[in-house]
Amino acid sequence: MPDLSLNLASLPLANPTLTCSGTCGYAFEYADFMDLSQLGAFVTKSITREERVGNEPARIVEVRAGMLNAIGLANVGLDRFLAEKVPLLKRMPCPVIVNVAGHSFDDYVETCAAMDGLDCIAAVELNVSCPNVKDGLTFGTHPGRLKELTALVKKVLPHKPLIVKLSPNVEDITHTARATIEGGADILSLVNTFTAMAVDIWKKKPRLANVTGGLSGPAIKPIALHLVSRVYRTVAKSAGVPIIGMGGVQTWQDAVEFILAGSSAVAIGTALFVDPATPNKICQGLTEYLVKMRIDRLSDLVGALEMPGDQPAKSTYP
Amino acid sequence: MGVPLMYCLLRKTRAGRPCHPRHKPMPSTFVPTSDPTSVPRRSQFTATVTANEPLCREHYKLTLQLDSFPNTEPGQFIQVACRDMAALYSPETEFDWQPGQMLDFAGRELMSPLALLRRPFSLAGRRDSSSGVELDLIHRIVGVGTDWLAQLRPGDEVNILGPLGNRFTLPASNEQAILVGGGVGIPPMLYLAEKLAGRDAVAFCGALTRDLLPLTIIPDTTNPGEDSFTPQPNILEFARHGLRSVISTDDGSHGYRGFVTQALEKYLDRTEGDRATPIIYTCGPEPMMKRVARIAADRGIECQIAVERAMACGMGTCQSCCIRLKRDATRDGNAFAGKGWIYKLACTDGPVFKGADLLW
Ligand SMILES: Cc1cc2nc3c(=O)[nH]c(=O)nc-3n(C[C@H](O)[C@H](O)[C@H](O)COP(=O)(O)OP(=O)(O)OC[C@H]3O[C@@H](n4cnc5c(N)ncnc54)[C@H](O)[C@@H]3O)c2cc1C
Ligand SMILES: Cc1cc2nc3c(=O)[nH]c(=O)nc-3n(C[C@H](O)[C@H](O)[C@H](O)COP(=O)(O)O)c2cc1C
Ligand code: FES
Repeated sequence: MPDLSLNLASLPLANPTLTCSGTCGYAFEYADFMDLSQLGAFVTKSITREERVGNEPARIVEVRAGMLNAIGLANVGLDRFLAEKVPLLKRMPCPVIVNVAGHSFDDYVETCAAMDGLDCIAAVELNVSCPNVKDGLTFGTHPGRLKELTALVKKVLPHKPLIVKLSPNVEDITHTARATIEGGADILSLVNTFTAMAVDIWKKKPRLANVTGGLSGPAIKPIALHLVSRVYRTVAKSAGVPIIGMGGVQTWQDAVEFILAGSSAVAIGTALFVDPATPNKICQGLTEYLVKMRIDRLSDLVGALEMPGDQPAKSTYP
Repeated sequence: MGVPLMYCLLRKTRAGRPCHPRHKPMPSTFVPTSDPTSVPRRSQFTATVTANEPLCREHYKLTLQLDSFPNTEPGQFIQVACRDMAALYSPETEFDWQPGQMLDFAGRELMSPLALLRRPFSLAGRRDSSSGVELDLIHRIVGVGTDWLAQLRPGDEVNILGPLGNRFTLPASNEQAILVGGGVGIPPMLYLAEKLAGRDAVAFCGALTRDLLPLTIIPDTTNPGEDSFTPQPNILEFARHGLRSVISTDDGSHGYRGFVTQALEKYLDRTEGDRATPIIYTCGPEPMMKRVARIAADRGIECQIAVERAMACGMGTCQSCCIRLKRDATRDGNAFAGKGWIYKLACTDGPVFKGADLLW
């Protein structure tokens, strides 16, 4: 049996499949439909300091090969998260990563500080890129502020690996990636959704109440893959910071592409709505792939993409 | 090695027909982890189509056969994958693959529209027998997903996930159930009628015009003109369970001419005082359900409404299907404190809500 396990910075995972924040609830919502114990890690919905009611419906619309969402970070808030969700998370059969969002430095710092002492939480992921909430864009798009935020949060999280989730809605993602690493991020995750819209031609109105929403699903996979590859080659590889790749991952082939491009792990979001067991099936597929390729450890595949101009791979024959 | 992949891609894939002739669905080896928060047993199932009959213009009745299915109740729904799920995970593409073989499905969904997300459908009926379970769905072609469903033929396979959502609370023994269905809101009423067999219950069904009524109308049973809002044994699906019904069409092409809500009001007014305490169950277009809720509220009648919302997950993870309810501090705790309303999820808190709670 090939070895699917890996270390994401200081975080050991049994396999490289994660769930995407916001597509899998807080804990056991999918327990009847997927084997949670076979997940590399589970990532919660974004938690904010205060409870958020979210945007008006319509909050989602399907588009060709993808979907737009403008949920507006609807979540129970930190207090109810600690009171109602943490007791459930203690029983989760896989590592749990809490995703944190905020609207000010203080929001982030306070929420993250509350996570540091919780044993049931393996790592914290910062959502600095949710394109749905109007004032949420700033942190993720401005390298200076992103570095400052990362450094502030890192200070209150001495015991947990810090993941920063990058927004693709920026001029050059390597700038924000670099800023995040300089700020002290242990792991990068990318990408969040792409700002997009859809129009009801009969009503001559936007189809989302929020006008714009985040595009996810198979439609974004080629773009997400490119961004992962770029961040890996330009910034992350040399800095030794692992990447969690996401955006349209649906099959094990997609996962292999992301891993070759430089992701150490992959996260699955929209595909869970189609088949909640997708991560389990991807693991099965990855195992078969490694057997056929005669590769013992999946981690040997990370970033193994051969690009034109690269040093040719060493021949196995003398 | 299997048949070359290009062969699969070139074969015209028909709805529900696995693209590969040797295809077998992936065995379901997954055993759910014990879930402390909700009733287990729900799952993903592969169902076989036993019938897919046109009922009227744009409406089909799809009958699915399964070896087993968890218990279900009227009001509940299932999430249907309205495309060939097997193609994505077929063993031919996943496990018989060899290094060097072309393996690229990318772009198929860009060439022709494909329903990405599952589509929610109410259960319209259920039969259990020694050979398994039969589920009925009634669907209307409104887009890419329902168009795919309409092409299914007996023997085809459909991936469904469920059962999901809450259920109608059945009437007390001294209550009269009044079922009000409009258009594609009629299916859950049919399942409810199954459970009300022999009880005091009547049904009101409305549509724009007669050929949009997904029902079997028994000839010469509908009172014409003035009296057309008096329930008759005129719809086979209800009559077989002993329920009388009223048919309304907006254009008067059958039964009561006007909205089903108008027929309902006339009936309530006329029978006021000489019937058991009524309880109204409704599903249909939102304006219709809002009007039914109003009619019930004005008369102090309890009303249960099965709402429809755009859904992605169907099980409380994505927060997409929210609907506004009056806030009730005892029920809602600290949530939405300081507000007069609260968002609830149509997929898990609903789809059935009390009319008096809904702010829409
Ligand atoms: C709980 C519930 C029960 C339902 N029961 C039935 C039923 O028994 N029979 C039936 O014919 N229809 C039913 N519907 C509506 C049905 O889900 C939609 O008609 C279907 O999703 C349309 O898919 P499409 O691809 O054909 O249309 P498209 O217009 O191409 O769909 C595009 C997107 O819009 C969403 N959407 C479109 N119309 C609706 C709608 N009315 N409600 C919710 N989402 C919608 C779809 O989910 C999809 O994501 C039900 C909906 C819900 C929420
Ligand atoms: C319905 C929905 C809700 C989401 N909510 C969040 C969220 O709360 N926080 C976050 O960081 N990302 C959120 N995302 C983004 C996903 O985590 C993920 O980055 C994105 O969807 C791309 O992956 P996918 O194509 O596999 O879905 C959400 C995505 C969807 C579809
Ligand atoms: S459909 Fe996802 S929460 Fe209701």
